Amino acid sequence: MKKITVKEFFSSKKDDFSLSLVTTPETLENHITSQYLHRPGLALSGYFERFSYDRVQILGETEISYLQSLKEVDLYDRVKELFVFNIPCFIVTKGLSVPEQMEYLANEMNVAILISRLSTDRLYHSLRKYLEDVFSPSKSIHGTLVDVFGEGILLTGKSGIGKSECALDLVERGHRLITDDVVKIILRDDVLIGTSTNDYGHFMEIRGIGLVDVEKMFGIQAVRLQKRVDIQVELMPWQDNMDYERIGLSDNYVEILELRIPIIYLPVSPGKNVSVIIEVIAMNHILKTYGYDAAKAYTRRLQEDIKRKAKVRSALIDDKE
Amino acid sequence: MIRKTIVVENELGMHARPATLIVKAASKYRSDFRIRMEDMEINGKSIMGVMTLAAEFGSNLELIADGVDEEYLINEIAELFANKFGED
Repeated sequence: MKKITVKEFFSSKKDDFSLSLVTTPETLENHITSQYLHRPGLALSGYFERFSYDRVQILGETEISYLQSLKEVDLYDRVKELFVFNIPCFIVTKGLSVPEQMEYLANEMNVAILISRLSTDRLYHSLRKYLEDVFSPSKSIHGTLVDVFGEGILLTGKSGIGKSECALDLVERGHRLITDDVVKIILRDDVLIGTSTNDYGHFMEIRGIGLVDVEKMFGIQAVRLQKRVDIQVELMPWQDNMDYERIGLSDNYVEILELRIPIIYLPVSPGKNVSVIIEVIAMNHILKTYGYDAAKAYTRRLQEDIKRKAKVRSALIDDKE
Repeated sequence: MIRKTIVVENELGMHARPATLIVKAASKYRSDFRIRMEDMEINGKSIMGVMTLAAEFGSNLELIADGVDEEYLINEIAELFANKFGED
């Protein structure tokens, strides 16, 4: 399971969420393990059943004014009871301050309290988004990601099959490269997003030449940093007995991070212009998205034609005149 | 070269699915394969060709195979027609 320390979170997001630390720096060693947030209203009032203690706890104006309304001795006991749970950290919103006793106990019991100047709502939404990104499932795939007419095409296949060369050809035709060789794929809001695993730039290896810098060579219009992955195209050597798709009525799918996207098994052989076929795949997918399926349109007409001819035939047989 | 005349016996005729079955079966063999219907003769290993026939229920087709494995090819294709492509 993924986790980050409160320290990592605090030092990278201090400015974005206008955070300041109330407790001692030693309290920052706890881990955040959940992408969800929690407002511990019921826990503060003493109800600890089903308390989501493993989440970042948000204290807004309501919670703080409730704490202030408690008698000192009650406050002390309640907060102590609360801090027994393994809580990653508290974030107080609107720049409010926490009761002194709570601060004291937090230091004693090693729980970080941060104060944000943002409103509860603002903080809640931006923090959720940030944590979602941190905790979203991701994986690396050996392949090349290109943007062809706005469709994210993930080219895969064995080393040396010609993924990079194909991408280069597509870039030359005005399409855009996201990354070559290793694609990092993140599942975000039910969409697969592909990026590079590093930020060195858009380099690729071309057999026989070595490394080339695509952005330097073709300009900024030839590259982009991330793209939704729409289709996977698996390039494979031509095999005589392989069952290639002939009409396109049935679609094949592949699961990436538990999301299904269409996959096309594309046989390549010397002399075949793969880039044009990739462009056709992208355009065909756009047409399907807009509701036109060429395979269905053709076969529907064929069926109508066959039906009409069968009618004529039976009419002629029945005609005994 | 061998020729064999068969009749389309499945009710829906040679629509997309039967056409695919024919082409895939024929493509396994090395022999040339053509299908003749009336005055039309097409390459039996081409999906667009086979669909162009739009052969309906009851049409007469002539299967023409030419090559080292022509007999096996014709037999397998004739079998497909006899089984009505697994339909009905």
